[in-house]
Amino acid sequence: MTAETLLTEMPSLSKLYVNAAATAAKSRLVRAEPVLALPARAIEVRGVSADLAKVTEFAHLMGEPARDVLPSGYLHALVFPVAMSVMVQEDFPLPLLGMIHLRNEVEHLAPVLFSDELSVRAWARDLTGHRSGTQVQIVAEIHNADGTELLWRGVSTYLAKGVFLPGLDKPTTAAARVDFIPPAPTAQWRLGVDTGRAYAAVSGDFNPIHLSVLSAKALGLRRSIAHGMYAAARVLATVPQSKPDTFCWDIAFDSPMFLPATVSLEVVDHRTDDGAWLRSVFTAWDARTARKYFNGSVSAGRSVID
Amino acid sequence: MTTPTTPGIRKAVIVGGNRIPFARTGGAYAHSSNQDMLTAALDGLVARFGLAGEQIGEVAAGAVLKHSRDFNLTREAVLGSALAATTPAYDLQQACATGMEAVIGLSNKIKLGQIDSAIAGGVDSASDAPIAVSEGLRAILLDLNRAKTTGQKLKTLSRIRPKDLSPDAPSTGEPRTGLSMGEHQALTTAQWKISREAQDELALASHKNLAAAYDRNFFDDLLTPFRGLSRDSNLRADSSMEKLAKLKPVFGKSLGDAATMTAGNSTPLTDGASTVLLASEEWAAARELPILADVVDGEAGAVDFVHGKDGLLMAPAFAVPRLLARNGLTLADFDYFEIHEAFAGTVLSTLAAWEDEEFGITRLGLDGAFGSIDRSKLNVNGSSLAAGHPFAATGGRLIATLAKMLHERGQVDGRPARGLISVCAAGGQGVVAILEAR
Repeated sequence: MTAETLLTEMPSLSKLYVNAAATAAKSRLVRAEPVLALPARAIEVRGVSADLAKVTEFAHLMGEPARDVLPSGYLHALVFPVAMSVMVQEDFPLPLLGMIHLRNEVEHLAPVLFSDELSVRAWARDLTGHRSGTQVQIVAEIHNADGTELLWRGVSTYLAKGVFLPGLDKPTTAAARVDFIPPAPTAQWRLGVDTGRAYAAVSGDFNPIHLSVLSAKALGLRRSIAHGMYAAARVLATVPQSKPDTFCWDIAFDSPMFLPATVSLEVVDHRTDDGAWLRSVFTAWDARTARKYFNGSVSAGRSVID
Repeated sequence: MTTPTTPGIRKAVIVGGNRIPFARTGGAYAHSSNQDMLTAALDGLVARFGLAGEQIGEVAAGAVLKHSRDFNLTREAVLGSALAATTPAYDLQQACATGMEAVIGLSNKIKLGQIDSAIAGGVDSASDAPIAVSEGLRAILLDLNRAKTTGQKLKTLSRIRPKDLSPDAPSTGEPRTGLSMGEHQALTTAQWKISREAQDELALASHKNLAAAYDRNFFDDLLTPFRGLSRDSNLRADSSMEKLAKLKPVFGKSLGDAATMTAGNSTPLTDGASTVLLASEEWAAARELPILADVVDGEAGAVDFVHGKDGLLMAPAFAVPRLLARNGLTLADFDYFEIHEAFAGTVLSTLAAWEDEEFGITRLGLDGAFGSIDRSKLNVNGSSLAAGHPFAATGGRLIATLAKMLHERGQVDGRPARGLISVCAAGGQGVVAILEAR
């Protein structure tokens, strides 16, 4: 990073969504030439700490006991406003609203406690072509108060569908689609129409596509959809049974979970000969249509992904 | 007579314990569930004794105030812990004696060789208590579920009246008498003529002793901080007789001048959880774990408080003499007494009964008074008046605390230091136990 923007406080997500809408409207009118490069600066907020009441509600919504150690999904929610701030900058090349969440890769280097004072940094990288648009990665990091120790790192990949920027490489043909044959499920989730609203309340992510049929339709979806991070956080509530200090996980989304939904889930554990947990692999699909929703893994130790 | 200490029956030992600090209701754990707190206490125990991945023989715990969705509270806590998922668990409930009964039941399984290790525990939240719909609404909702046609459904719904919408909260009232536990104890306190001053003195000693125990780091290996608390939030190290004397009676007010029970000499509603690790000697030795004390024997008792002449919380006054007789011991053979301070009046009424000749002869069938205890051996590291009393969690707190005290004391007059625990419970019950130092 060549430069940094230090924010004095955590940005408000609701303001960010309003700004995103305004920026989208303005760029359509004003911006003559598309921006072709990512902003070089990172955005940083210091003195961040968890809201204990929200942490408790978050854990209970996921069906896990609320501990002093913060759940991974909550940490994602904690850094999300900073990640959003990266994407609403004037010179950010892609429109924030309507972006599709493709993937997450997360690494826990040490447990983060609710009482810890933290600093959060986020920046954008890897603006690349995609067969149906342009994708970008937002990296978010949680450090201790003075920024000397990295505790958590999340890389989220988003797709701006239908946005093609000149000069970006993109695969010319779509990857061959492999037919998904659902395995035997090990769990089932019944997600009501209020799933998006419930997750918005604990995570602060009030993206209209998750809140109601009407607000989702306004953004071109036929129904509201569950948050991708809801799915990830809910898997992580029980996988693995007990979290090691250092672990990593990833999730890739194939299709949106339109609400209401009945989600079938398969979790397969991999263990050492002594029975110690090494890795769990999970896959989820629509129980009715067998359409795949997402898949991913949770592993002990550090991530091998950059 | 065969007793649980008969040769041939192996020993059950206490390896250690872990609890979270207890919090006054509506405080630090106001939004924490029983599941959260029991898991936190269990997580701390697993970490302290390196039990990650270990298959424990059995885990038993319970809560007095429990949501119906928590039917498998203890098993769910195991599944959320680092213990092997193949560890079986069950819930049990014996009001305030839940933790004690968990320890005794599991110890007996270890003594019989059915299991080699066990975790006993208890948790309670008065903050996150279950609230049920009224009985009327419950009946209507169940009928609605059975209704088939829209007409039947509408007809069922039309039965709802405004009074049906007021929820049912749990209370500490006794179903058969309608009196709260405090009101019951107020009658017993008056019956045994326990003075206000004596109750306040006991309460003050509880706070001073608990504060001193924290100050010399006694609880460092018995407790894991939770939600920012590292000490019991009810503890008032600066309490004094003057401050306690200013409080107005809250129970037994109909007794007039005989009303002596205040918020200061009664335990407040509290949230918290505790766990105790039990084992056979072999299991503990194989893992190089400490052995603090033996679980020697235990006894449950009950009194007819509804129609009889005994107070609601007086069952231990009968259970202790039976337990000691079975083990050939008298009160003079003990180095520590842990008598649960549900109310200061409970402890003092129990001691008064034991010192009363008539009670000894007519009620206990002895030749005279059962005996008296050296008060310097009573609740020496504080008890429930200071720490608080999350109903099912108190047994685990007492067992782990006493086991550590006995271990520190070691030998007394050429025999292992010996301690007695007495816990009274709702429904006129009580569970008592003997521990011996290792």
